[in-house]
Amino acid sequence: MAILSVESLRKDYRYVRRRPGLSGLFDRDIRTVKAVTGISFEIAERERVAIIGPNGAGKSTTLKMLSGILEPTDGAAAVLGFVPWKQRRQLAYRIGVVFGQRTQLWTELPARDSFALLRRIYDVDQATFDRRLNQLVERFGLGPILDQPVQRLSLGQRMRCEIVASLLHGPSLLFLDEPTIGLDITAKAAIRDFIREHAGAEGQTVVLTSHDTRDIELVCDRVIVINEGRIVVDQPTDQLRRQFLGHRLVTLRSAAPEIALDLPGVTRRTSEPHLSVFEVDTRATRVDAVVEAALAKGGIEDITIEDPPMEEVVRAIYDANRAR
Amino acid sequence: MIPTYAANIAIAIRTSLMDRTNFVLNSAGMVLNDIFFLILWYMFFAGFRQVGGWGLHDVARLLGIIMLVVAISGVFFGGYRDMAATILRGEIDALLTQPKSILPRLLARESIATAWGDGVMGIWMLITFAGLSWTDTPAVLLTLVCGTTIYVASAIAYASMAFWFTGARSFARDLTDFMLLFSSYPGSIYSGMTKVIAYSLLPAGFIVLTPVAFLRNPSAGTFTIIATSTLLYVSLAAALFHAGLIRYRRGLVPTG
Repeated sequence: MAILSVESLRKDYRYVRRRPGLSGLFDRDIRTVKAVTGISFEIAERERVAIIGPNGAGKSTTLKMLSGILEPTDGAAAVLGFVPWKQRRQLAYRIGVVFGQRTQLWTELPARDSFALLRRIYDVDQATFDRRLNQLVERFGLGPILDQPVQRLSLGQRMRCEIVASLLHGPSLLFLDEPTIGLDITAKAAIRDFIREHAGAEGQTVVLTSHDTRDIELVCDRVIVINEGRIVVDQPTDQLRRQFLGHRLVTLRSAAPEIALDLPGVTRRTSEPHLSVFEVDTRATRVDAVVEAALAKGGIEDITIEDPPMEEVVRAIYDANRAR
Repeated sequence: MIPTYAANIAIAIRTSLMDRTNFVLNSAGMVLNDIFFLILWYMFFAGFRQVGGWGLHDVARLLGIIMLVVAISGVFFGGYRDMAATILRGEIDALLTQPKSILPRLLARESIATAWGDGVMGIWMLITFAGLSWTDTPAVLLTLVCGTTIYVASAIAYASMAFWFTGARSFARDLTDFMLLFSSYPGSIYSGMTKVIAYSLLPAGFIVLTPVAFLRNPSAGTFTIIATSTLLYVSLAAALFHAGLIRYRRGLVPTG
C-alpha cells in the first residue's frame, strides 16, 4: 500500500533581479527557476527509496515539499494520508526529518538536553520517551557521548545524534537529506548500517537523498533518479546496480611513469606520467584484486579508491535511457 | 505551548551561561555601560533641574523601564536579535518539520547574556532614583509587560523583512538599535518628524514615553493608549511574520 504518492508535482522558485544603479529600484527583472517540473511516483510502506541526482536536480526541493516545508507550484501529494503543505503540523508528528547540513541539536549542550526538548515539542510522554531513547542509545552506541556537548563530538557522532533526534517521537516515515555528507568512511558505514537495521526492525519507510552512490547501494531497495527537475529513472537498486553502480575508480601514483593492468573489466580512464586512473567493473574483477595486481608491479606510492561522481552516474543513466 | 516555550528558553539560558567568564564579562560590561550613562544624566541634572518638564525621577523611570525591557526581551525572547539572519540562512526549515509554532521557537532560540546586566541596573535604577513607592509596583509591572511586548513585536516586524529583502539582516539590527536609542531620551526632545517616528516606526513613544507618563499620572486614558498600542504592534508583527512565512514556503526568494 502506498503511504506516499506524488502526482505531477512542480516547483518554481521566483526571484527578483534588480538592475544596477538607481533605475534598479523601479526596474525589476522577475526570474523563474524551474526546480521540479512535474514528477509522479508512489512509495509503499517499509520501502527504502533513494532520490538521487546531480546538484540542482530538484532532490532537496522534492523532499522539502513532501515534508511540508515548501508549497508546490502545482501538482498533488499525499504523505501518510496528509497533504504535506496544508497539514504540516499533523504530518510532523508522523515523520522524522534529517538535514545533513543543518542541525536540530543545541551544539553547546549535551545531546541529552536537545532530546529532552524534542520530547516536549512532539508531546511524547515521559515513559515512552525513556524507553525509545534507551533503545536508540543502545542500538546506536551513544551511551558514552550522550552527556558531552555536541560541538565536541565528531561529525559521525553528531550525525548519529541527529538521526536519533529524528526518531524519538516514533515516526513511521523518515526523510534523510544527505545524511552522510562530510563523514569519513567508518562514520558513513555506521550511519548506513543503522538506517538499514533500524528501519528494517521498526518497519519504517525511508526516503533518502544523497550524492554518494554507496548510500544508495547499501541502504535503499529502490532508486529514483532526478535530473533537471524530472524523473529520469525509477527502478529497483539491484537493477540499477547491475547497469551503473558496480564501478569503482582506482587511482595509482607510481614511481614508474605508467602502470599497466591487464584484468577483465579494468579499463584505463586517464593517465599522466606517474598517475594512472582505472575504472573497475566490480562484477568482473574485485577492487582488492586490482590493488593486489598493482602492488605486485612494485613502486606504487599511493592508491585511492573512489566511487564515480554522482554526476557521471546520472549522465550514464540518462544516456542509456535516451538510447532505448 | 507555554511549557514547551519554557523548556526551550531554559535551554537557551543554560547555553548563554555555559561560558561563565564570558557571561560575567558581558554582564559586568553592560552594568558599567549603564552606570556611565547614568552618571552623564546625573551630571546633567546637577546643572539643569529639568529638561522640557522631565526631572531626574522621570529620566530614572525611563532608563529603568527601558533597561528592564531590554533585559526581559534579551533573557526570555533573545532570538529576536538574530531572527533576520536565521530566516536568511534557511534555518527555519528544520522548525517547519516540527509540530510547534515557528515564531515562539525562533524567539526561544537564544538568550542574551548581557541582558542580565541591564536587568540588574534597571531594578537598581527604579528602586534608587525613580522616586517610586511599593504601591506603584502593579503600574510598573504593567508598563514592563507592555513595553517588552512592543519592543519584541517591533523587532519581529523588522526581522520579518528578511522574507522580502536579503539586506534585512543588517537593517533589522539597525532599526532595533535606533528603537533603543529613541527609548533612552526624554520625550520632550522629540518634535515634528522625529516625534512621528517615535510613535510609529521606532515606537519609543509606546515602549517608554507613554508608560513614564502613566507612572507619573495613572489614568484610564493613558492605560488605553498603552494597551491598544501593544495589541496593534503585536498584530502587525504577527501579520508581517506570517505573510513572510507564506512567501517563504511558496519559494519566493528575497531580493538583494
